[in-house]
Amino acid sequence: MEVTLLVQATDDAFKMIEDARHQAIGILDTAVGLTSETRDIQKRNIQAIFRGAQESRTKFQNFIGTFLLLSVFWLLLSGKFDAFHLTLGGICCLIVSLLTYDLLFTNIRIGDYRLVTGRFLSYVPWLIYQIILSNIHVAALALKYKLPVDPQVMKFKTKLETDISWVTLANSITLTPGTITMDIKDGEFYIHALDQKVAEDLDTGEMENRIAHIFMEADHIYVQDVLDVARIYGAIR
Amino acid sequence: MIRVTDDVIIKTIARILIPFIQVYALYVIMHGHYSPGGGFQGGVILAASLVLLLLTHGWEETKKKFNETRIAVFCAVGVLIYAGIGLLCLILGGNYLDYSQLSKLLSVLPAEARSLGILGVEIGVGLTVMAVMFSIFFDISTGGDSPEDEGQE
Repeated sequence: MEVTLLVQATDDAFKMIEDARHQAIGILDTAVGLTSETRDIQKRNIQAIFRGAQESRTKFQNFIGTFLLLSVFWLLLSGKFDAFHLTLGGICCLIVSLLTYDLLFTNIRIGDYRLVTGRFLSYVPWLIYQIILSNIHVAALALKYKLPVDPQVMKFKTKLETDISWVTLANSITLTPGTITMDIKDGEFYIHALDQKVAEDLDTGEMENRIAHIFMEADHIYVQDVLDVARIYGAIR
Repeated sequence: MIRVTDDVIIKTIARILIPFIQVYALYVIMHGHYSPGGGFQGGVILAASLVLLLLTHGWEETKKKFNETRIAVFCAVGVLIYAGIGLLCLILGGNYLDYSQLSKLLSVLPAEARSLGILGVEIGVGLTVMAVMFSIFFDISTGGDSPEDEGQE
C-alpha cells in the first residue's frame, strides 16, 4: 500500500517536472520567436550588434582603422597629391599609427563602426536643435529686468557604461547653454544649471537615452540577455 | 612627481586627440620648405603630444611608447642626421650644408637636391627638438629622479 502511494507520489512529481519543463520550453520558444521576428525587422542591425557583442577587435584591425583615419586627416592638411608627398604621408601615418593604435579605438566594444557613425551623425542635428532652443531660453532670461535665474548644482547617476559615451554626454550638456558639466565621479554627473527649467529638461533623460542609443548600450544589454537565455534553452532541450 | 588626472573627460579627449596632434606635427615638419613651419615647430608640437600623454595617462602608459632610452637615442640621431648631411656636402666638395652638392649622389637637379636636403635636415632638427623638449619637461616634473630607478630600489 505504502509502496503504491510512494510510486504514485514519485509519478506525480515527475509529471509536474515534465509539465514545468514543457511550459518553460513553450515560454522560451515564444521568446526566441519574438527575437527572430525582431531579427526579420532589423536583421542587419541586430546582426551587427551580435557581432560586436561577441567579437573584440584585434590589434591589427585597430591599427588599420587608425591608419585610414590619419591618412584622411593628412590628405586634408597637405592638399598635395603628387607621389612624393603621398609617400611621405603614408610613412608618417604608418609611424603614428604604430605608436598610437591602442589610443584611438579602446573601449568601443559594442556594435560596428558604421552603425555607430551613422547614429552619431543623426544625433548631431537634434543636438543643434536643442542648443538653439536653450539659447533662446537663456537669452530671454538674460533680457528680463528681474533676472530670474536660480543657479543650482544637480547630481545624477548615469546608466551609460563606456568612457566615450560619458564624454559625449558631458560635452553635449556643456554645449547646451545654461548647463555645464562640472565633474564626473564614478558614473555620477555633477551639473551646474542656470535655472529650474533647464535642470528639469535635463532630468527627463532624453539626451542620455539618445546617447545610449548611439553607442548601442541599451541594445547591447538586451542582446546579452538573449544570449544568456539561449544557453539555458539549449541545456533544457 | 606628476599626479595622474582622474578626470574621464580629459583622459578620453586626450586619447582621441593625440594621434591627430602627432600627424599634424609630422605634417608641419614635412611641409616646412613649402609653408610656415619646419623642424623646430613640428618637433615642439610632437613633444607637446607626448607631454599631453604623460599628463593624462601617467608615466606607466607613456613608457610603452617613449622611454628614457629612446629619448637619448632620438636626441643623438637627430643631431647625427643634421651634421651628417652637412658633412656629406663638405665631402662632395661644397661648403658645409651646401645641399646642391647632393645632386651628384641622388642623380637629380641641384634645385631638387636642395629641397630634399632641407627636408632631411628638418627631420633631424624635429627629432632632436622633440626628444630634448620632452626630456626637459620630464626632468622638471620628476625633479631629476627617474621613476624607473625608484621602482628598483
